[in-house]
Amino acid sequence: MNEELGIILETTSKVLNKHVDHKLRQNIDNDNSDLINLWDEIEQIGLPKIAVKDKFNGSGLPLSTTLPIIKLSNNIGAPIPLSETILSNYILSESDINPPSGIVTYAIDVKNLKIIGNEISGELISVPYLNLTDKIVFITEIEKTKKVILIKNSREDKELKKNFLSEPRYNLKLNKCKILYIKPVNLRINFKQLGAIVRSAQMIGSMEKILDLCIDYCSQRKQFGRALSKFQAIQHQISEMAVELSASSAALSTITNSDDFYKNKKDIAILKIRAGAAAGKVIAISHQVHGAIGFTQEYELAYFTRNLNSWRNDFGNESYWEDELGKDFLENNNQNLWEYLT
Amino acid sequence: MSKFNFPSIKETNDLSNLRKEVRNFITKSLNHKEFEPSADAWVFSASPDFSKKLGSMGWLGMSFPKKYGGNERTALERYVVTEELLASGAPVAAHWIADRQSGSQILRYGNEEQKKSIIPKITAGECFFAIGMSEPDSGSDLASVKTKATKIENGWKLEGRKIWSTGAHIANYMIVLVRTSPASEKNRHEGLSQFLVDLSLPNVSVKGIPDMTGQRHFNETLFDNVILAEDALLGVEGKGWSQVVGELALERSGPERFLSHFTLLESFINEFKNILIKSGSKLIGKLIAELQTLRRMSFSIASMLQNGESPETQAAFVKELGNKFEKTMVETLREFSNIIPLYEWPSQLQNLFEDATLRIPSNSLRGGTTEIMKGIIARQLGLR
Ligand SMILES: Cc1cc2nc3c(=O)[nH]c(=O)nc-3n(C[C@H](O)[C@H](O)[C@H](O)COP(=O)(O)OP(=O)(O)OC[C@H]3O[C@@H](n4cnc5c(N)ncnc54)[C@H](O)[C@@H]3O)c2cc1C
Repeated sequence: MNEELGIILETTSKVLNKHVDHKLRQNIDNDNSDLINLWDEIEQIGLPKIAVKDKFNGSGLPLSTTLPIIKLSNNIGAPIPLSETILSNYILSESDINPPSGIVTYAIDVKNLKIIGNEISGELISVPYLNLTDKIVFITEIEKTKKVILIKNSREDKELKKNFLSEPRYNLKLNKCKILYIKPVNLRINFKQLGAIVRSAQMIGSMEKILDLCIDYCSQRKQFGRALSKFQAIQHQISEMAVELSASSAALSTITNSDDFYKNKKDIAILKIRAGAAAGKVIAISHQVHGAIGFTQEYELAYFTRNLNSWRNDFGNESYWEDELGKDFLENNNQNLWEYLT
Repeated sequence: MSKFNFPSIKETNDLSNLRKEVRNFITKSLNHKEFEPSADAWVFSASPDFSKKLGSMGWLGMSFPKKYGGNERTALERYVVTEELLASGAPVAAHWIADRQSGSQILRYGNEEQKKSIIPKITAGECFFAIGMSEPDSGSDLASVKTKATKIENGWKLEGRKIWSTGAHIANYMIVLVRTSPASEKNRHEGLSQFLVDLSLPNVSVKGIPDMTGQRHFNETLFDNVILAEDALLGVEGKGWSQVVGELALERSGPERFLSHFTLLESFINEFKNILIKSGSKLIGKLIAELQTLRRMSFSIASMLQNGESPETQAAFVKELGNKFEKTMVETLREFSNIIPLYEWPSQLQNLFEDATLRIPSNSLRGGTTEIMKGIIARQLGLR
């Protein structure tokens, strides 16, 4: 880990730990002053533009370098659109658009988009945190070229989507909404792949937290006269979580340590598959060992597991990426499996 | 959790070149019909001739010092060579244990005389080892071993019985874990010691035990008052437990924990590629994701070993995940027989599949069981 990143991580951790508690997670309205204060400090330490080019006043770090920061933020369980803003701004900057200030979010999917002149209509699907911002980035294909579009929306026609997530997410109908910027997307940008990487980092940060919660809880809670952690059945379940988690961390470290990860569809697929599979195990086991208390809103476990449920389905679930990975290998006719792996 | 990181290690060009070199060598051997790829070859398929050849290529005892005939190459280079050999199902069982763990154990704990006489032979592929840990009444609970060594004038007397020792029938030596003094009340790990035992000594008898597939690879070894020289004690008297723990990191972390049946997977894919493209890409993708992650983790451990760390817990992670992967893999192929019935598979593939199916239960027993791996991990998590 380089020194610069170490310092950023330390500062980020201080800021987040100062502001984030479980109460904050339960009130993420746009008029919550605690949340606004937190975001102000996030801006002050430059995180929103950390992967934005120098010429747009960003820090110019490679996106891979920001993954440990994103992971940390979800390990602490900060209910803010940090990953969304970092990724949106990165996409804008790479496509030569100067990112706006403040929170920026994206639409995971789009439907029936139509552009007339400088106005766009259609539907944006799954837009995180639209309660906190009106700036939305999305990518769509227009006349056979992929374009990145930035809009500001007055949020009249948005509908809060009920989903697994602990965090708010919306669908939005656009009716002749003014386009702020539209540019061909940088060819290096593959939104689905980038999203898959970022969501995996978020999942891994959350799963590390969940593992800690399980260890702490089972060490304290007593039944039959001893701590739950002394029961072998409990120990083995938690070990299984740790094994799955370590496999996904290993897959993440491959991406974090690579300068040209955006070329590497194979490793991205592996990461999302491993993280998604681990999340499934972690959700089931962590709830099992927590008993009923884990099933409440008051205790923080569910905040983390709900997010996992959602993120493992964003940007392609395990099946999607398994299929992609399998095809990537099988359709590459002249390689046998070992050559492909090595 | 930071204790269990597996930092990503890149394969350098030098390593890739080494990989190609080994691969060419294997292709030639296959073309000359020097071996038939087999399942679980590092346990079952022994060929002293092939081992000797690998020795002459400089691919055994790779990291051992030149002073003792070694090659002073890195643990990462050894990793690459072992991976290539496993992936091809080459007959590596004869030297496997000596190259993987016993040689290192002698370099760490042996005296000068032992290093000079044994290490060059291991490196040449001419000296084989067996592991003498388990006993009829001591499996998972290894500290309960009863085989004992008693001090006599000018040496030791060894008495007891070891069981399940893979390859003891062709091995020259066995490193035997014994009691040299009773366990203390507080610490049952005290009073254990390791001995380097020449299996050709009088009063040693090795008897094969056919396994459930009918093959002979593991053995029961009886030590009936065997007289050992003073220096047969390997390392420090009473410190056998910590020596064994270090050895187990070498035993559990390598690619044999997930590549034992790779030849089956690869032949299967080559045979049914056209069908898999249509209806099996998801299944194959899942296996690739698991396998590739395991390779990364195991490679990462090789680098920890290279840096002199002792990744015992990480080794348990790899063993546990690797065992699970192999079981899933065989299950996945079995389900495929729904589409193409087994009797229509080419006979060599059928054989590999049947061998794998029969042998797969042993992968989570040998080298420590699933339950023991989970226990090790739980301890590191602070749960025990
Ligand atoms: C193919 C093969 C090759 C082998 N090669 C060698 C070799 O070369 N040298 C050597 O020394 N040994 C060798 N072994 C032996 C191997 O190390 C043992 O089989 C293993 O340690 C388990 O011991 P056991 O068979 O006595 O089973 P046991 O220890 O009796 O265990 C039986 C079952 O009980 C479970 N169990 C035991 N204790 C606990 C506990 N505390 N909590 C929960 N569950 C528990 C185990 O996990 C297992 O499921 C080999 C075994 C096989 C199958």
